[in-house]
Amino acid sequence: MTQYTICVYGENAVGLLNKITIIFTRRRINIDSLTVSETVRKGVSRFTIVIKHDKREEVEKLVRQIRKVVEVMAVFGYLNHDIVYNEIALFKIPTPVNSKPIDIDTINKVYKAWVVYWELDYVVIEKTGTEEEIFEFFRYLKPYGITEFVRSGRVAVGKTPQGLVEYLPEEMEWEYAI
Amino acid sequence: MKTSEETETLEAVETAKFLSGGQALMESFLQEGVDLIFGYPGGAIMPIYDALYDYTDRINHVLVRHEQGAGHAAEGFARVSGKVGVCMATSGPGATNLVTPIADAIIDCTPLVAITGQVFSGLLGTDAFQETDVIGVTMPICKWNYQVVDPDEIPEVMAKAFFIARSGKPGPVLIDITKDAQVKAMTKPFSYKKIDKLLSYSPRVTPKPEQLEKAAELINKAKRPYILFGHGILISQAMEEFREFVEKTDIPCASTLLGISGISVDHPNYMGWLGMHGMYAPNVMTDRCDVVIAIGMRFDDRVTGDAAKFVKQAKIVHIEIDPAEINKIKHADAPVVGDAKEALKMLMPLVKQGDFTAWKNEFRKLEAPEKELVSDRDLQGEGQIKMAEVVKMVSEKTKGQACIVVDVGQHQMVTARYYDFRKPHSYIASGGLGTMGFAIPAALGAKFGAPDREVVAFIGDGCFQMTIQELGTIAQSGLPVKLVILNNNFLGMVRQWQDLFFEKRYSFVELHNPDFITIAKGFGLEADKVTSRENLSEALDQMLASDKGYVLEVVVEKEENVFPMVPAGTSVSEIRLK
Repeated sequence: MTQYTICVYGENAVGLLNKITIIFTRRRINIDSLTVSETVRKGVSRFTIVIKHDKREEVEKLVRQIRKVVEVMAVFGYLNHDIVYNEIALFKIPTPVNSKPIDIDTINKVYKAWVVYWELDYVVIEKTGTEEEIFEFFRYLKPYGITEFVRSGRVAVGKTPQGLVEYLPEEMEWEYAI
Repeated sequence: MKTSEETETLEAVETAKFLSGGQALMESFLQEGVDLIFGYPGGAIMPIYDALYDYTDRINHVLVRHEQGAGHAAEGFARVSGKVGVCMATSGPGATNLVTPIADAIIDCTPLVAITGQVFSGLLGTDAFQETDVIGVTMPICKWNYQVVDPDEIPEVMAKAFFIARSGKPGPVLIDITKDAQVKAMTKPFSYKKIDKLLSYSPRVTPKPEQLEKAAELINKAKRPYILFGHGILISQAMEEFREFVEKTDIPCASTLLGISGISVDHPNYMGWLGMHGMYAPNVMTDRCDVVIAIGMRFDDRVTGDAAKFVKQAKIVHIEIDPAEINKIKHADAPVVGDAKEALKMLMPLVKQGDFTAWKNEFRKLEAPEKELVSDRDLQGEGQIKMAEVVKMVSEKTKGQACIVVDVGQHQMVTARYYDFRKPHSYIASGGLGTMGFAIPAALGAKFGAPDREVVAFIGDGCFQMTIQELGTIAQSGLPVKLVILNNNFLGMVRQWQDLFFEKRYSFVELHNPDFITIAKGFGLEADKVTSRENLSEALDQMLASDKGYVLEVVVEKEENVFPMVPAGTSVSEIRLK
């Protein structure tokens, strides 16, 4: 199974998320992660969807089907090496009296993670990185007892202007401008 | 000082200027040239129907008996006329009854605008009376859908709706309008602007020259080229261009089921239609050609059988308006994205004059076994009446000029085989979805779409009972729609499969039918029944001569199988003649 990141640009309209995700449902493709945010252009949203699939041509078909949704302006499918990507994770670690003290120095210098909030009996640590880096950090923190762990979906930007899909010509010509 | 009377007139002008949502919808219809709506009123769409009351001089509304009928009638109208079909229903059950025709329209690329009423916007999401999330329900089967909660949106939304429905690959659009948006007045004067593109959607009509050049190169080099054309020829009204293209290149052509009537059956290059129950030569020759030119068709599984084995020896030129269809089932060596009419026009000067007499003869040679094993037997005129005889007779009596509407099943395939289509837009069928119950309402819609043409529907006894209530709509319309029931007292196609693939274990396929004649007469239609061959011709003459809605029941052989047949999922080469 190969990981693909699909970036969809669409009008910021009610229901568009639904219209996009049902295309995955119909083909029985599970979504690993999904993030939505507005782009630099007002009114245009960017959906970043991560899936795993073993057939590239099926992903290409999926991308073309997403493009058919009327409110969708452009779709790009990427392999991991085509993109710069990251996730963010938050860890809530209990710090009761007499517990093993957490090693802030290692957390900062080795894992490039930061304490972003603390109370008397817990801290919240933020870690940005790839899925692997976050899980490596997860393993490091596990002995301290993680009470809550949350990971965002992937955010990604392409290294090249094009994605893996060989777009049919009209899509290549599409200019992203409002 | 203004008199009180003047103030009143002034206010009246003001009110007239700021239309209610319902009125704005009617004005939008007029702007789009809509003069016919199939629909059914109900609670949540009453303000729209109230607005319609003042527009009945310009907009004809056909009151159906069930919302599914409205949808299929709008489809029939659209398929024959090329215009956008419009249907209306209320919220909840009214809207959900439209689901089947909407699903039918998306898969058969039929331009349809469906208007549904919705509960007050303040009640959305509260499980209000007759509230269904119709936007959610129809999302996967609509080309576009949208919920209007503000009357000011109506002109723009309707312009979008009609543009999306008819452009590119046509399809259904559903607009759900909350009751308050129908009642409330707009806050600005009504102004309507038709649109021809959207930022996120503007389908390519004119193909790219380099794609055409590559396609022409493949076509010109081909030794055994073969054209497979589909519904796209009819949708883009490319019949003339297609005929000219075929005549210049002399390439043999075959149609898909929905492509039927794209070219006259008499054309020397037309070899018939292909697919699961298609003709023998067009199917078998897919294994012998070296270049396939697919125009406005999408390699449906009922055409390809086992897609991996279909035309695997050949290079494929795929002319198609929807980019998502390219490489979906078959890899296209030369894709041409664009409208079939434009593509054929531009391809004409690039292709060579051809002479494929010998190659065409190979097709013709294969007609002999089919004639002997299938057609002659179907038409031999012995024993019980066969469906084929009825269709052939109607074909002869109407000289192949009628608009034929069919339902789904054996009679659908038999009609495609034995009617000699000589006029375009003449085979109106539910192809992709295979919707039983399509024909009665679609035939009425077709008659509205082509009032000057003879409209004859062939309908199985099972299908007939799925939308039988629309006989009332036909009677009320007063239109001479001719319905022929080919009654074998069986769900014939399912029975055929049980016969061939399930060891004749006939599981729930036999129907104990009602007296169709009494029913038809009860609805106010003329009706007649034929059980023996000697009465058939006269009964058909009588039906065709009638200027009223007419039901003719023909009792046909009970256990007749339709051949040729490519068993589902097998290669086309495994086609069976018996």
